[in-house]
Amino acid sequence: MAVDKVVEIPVSLEVPIGPQHPALHEPVMLKVYAEGEEVVKVEVNTGYNHRGVEKLTEKNSFYRNIFIVSRVCGICNIVHSDVYVRAVEQVMNIEPPRRAKYLRVLAMELERIHSHMIINAIMAEVLGYDTLFMYIMRDREKVMKAKEILTGNRVLGDYLMVGGVRRDLSEVDRERIKDVLVKLEPEVRKYVRVFEEDETIGKRLRGVGVVKPRDVTLHGLVGPTARGSGINIDARREGYDAYNEVPFNIIVRGDMDSWSRMMVRWHETIESINMCKYVLENLPSDGPAVPDETKLSRKFPVGEAFARVEAPRGELTYYVMSDGRQNPFRVKIRTPSFNNIINSGFSYIGYTIADVPVILTSYDPCISCMERAIVTDLRRGERKYIRFKDLSMGLK
Amino acid sequence: MGKPSLLKDVLKWFIGRPITIQYPYEETPIENRFRGRHFADLSKCTGCSLCAIECPADAITMEKLPEGVSVPKNPRRIYPVVSYGKCVYCYRCVTVCPFDAYITTNDYKLAGPAKLYSRDYSLQSIRGGEQ
Repeated sequence: MAVDKVVEIPVSLEVPIGPQHPALHEPVMLKVYAEGEEVVKVEVNTGYNHRGVEKLTEKNSFYRNIFIVSRVCGICNIVHSDVYVRAVEQVMNIEPPRRAKYLRVLAMELERIHSHMIINAIMAEVLGYDTLFMYIMRDREKVMKAKEILTGNRVLGDYLMVGGVRRDLSEVDRERIKDVLVKLEPEVRKYVRVFEEDETIGKRLRGVGVVKPRDVTLHGLVGPTARGSGINIDARREGYDAYNEVPFNIIVRGDMDSWSRMMVRWHETIESINMCKYVLENLPSDGPAVPDETKLSRKFPVGEAFARVEAPRGELTYYVMSDGRQNPFRVKIRTPSFNNIINSGFSYIGYTIADVPVILTSYDPCISCMERAIVTDLRRGERKYIRFKDLSMGLK
Repeated sequence: MGKPSLLKDVLKWFIGRPITIQYPYEETPIENRFRGRHFADLSKCTGCSLCAIECPADAITMEKLPEGVSVPKNPRRIYPVVSYGKCVYCYRCVTVCPFDAYITTNDYKLAGPAKLYSRDYSLQSIRGGEQ
């Protein structure tokens, strides 16, 4: 009998994870191609949360932008405003007093503590360890209270202004924040022990999502992801704000897996608690930390500035260009999640589908940070992502 | 199989008081300096519109004062109205005001079906001053 029909069975199965998915907390889509349970290819698709913040900054004045850029990311809002403010200070040639610099470090380190705590809590939740998730979130609330005492709001601090910070710290509040940190430290050490000793966590995290140091440099991964693979990079070493005066250790671990990345975050949390304590004990009183906002200069010289900061997720850079008018000519934002997530497709290959959310969470994804434009040519029906180079040249 | 590492804590909190605050039935502890609802004090406001220009969320609009309301120093007779739905509570308007005319509170209970504006609070401030 002659063959008249051929049935083709696809070798790999396409599993879309996201943009709405119980394991993901933000809208990103991972298109996972699997053979059986084994992942053979992952495509990271973004574009569900694009807001055009860079363009918005060109339409608003330098001072209004301080509050706009801090809305790029909810969790790391103070580092976003800090790096922008430092870039504007470079353009305007302003040097804030040391007290303001110390308070900026305090705010940023409090932010690092709660950011690292929330991603570890989310990791516990992804692993199905909901009790641990609840306990870490309960203790994270103490840090949020400390941030409320310092900045006036739990999450969105709006704490920075060109030439200093927006509210000073009284002696009473200083003691209260110190009290919060003293109570928090034993709790964090307990969770570190749980992450080190718990069998379930070890089985799900150890040896999963191995990123070799060569891959880190090849794909430009930054932050705790790189430090978890033994690469010793940290923008704080540059000594911006008061980081040249506050002593701290850079945590590097060489296990290269998801567990290693989470442990880097936990040990950084302890390091940040110590830094906050140092800042609170050695707060200088050399000048008014709070500038009079009514008397700030309304004239901006022509110039450009490039600033970088170590955000909880890695190195965050801002480029600000002024052409002498009230609004910046260009603000370019390069967030750490953009490097860490979009370039991370290689690291899922060879693991099972159940490991995909674990590996993604271990990179600490911040989707609202990393959205970039996709251009669809309606006449030709083509879609393409815009490269850095094209973005900096302006869209044609 | 290893021992469950959090069992001691779980048992401790199982018999202890719950941490969860049953908002809105229970009050949430809030700082005095928390950035909450704020409005212009018409006895100080001069209608210079600086807050409306500087607002990063465009939440402040300048409106004409109603007839019959007397204000000490406001030649153009306009005053800022904050739309609490649009406001991001950054307090830029408070700090940028040259006459220190904003009254700040730590009231954060602003959720409701109706759109909220600072109009009534501002007009109340001048009436309170007259009494």
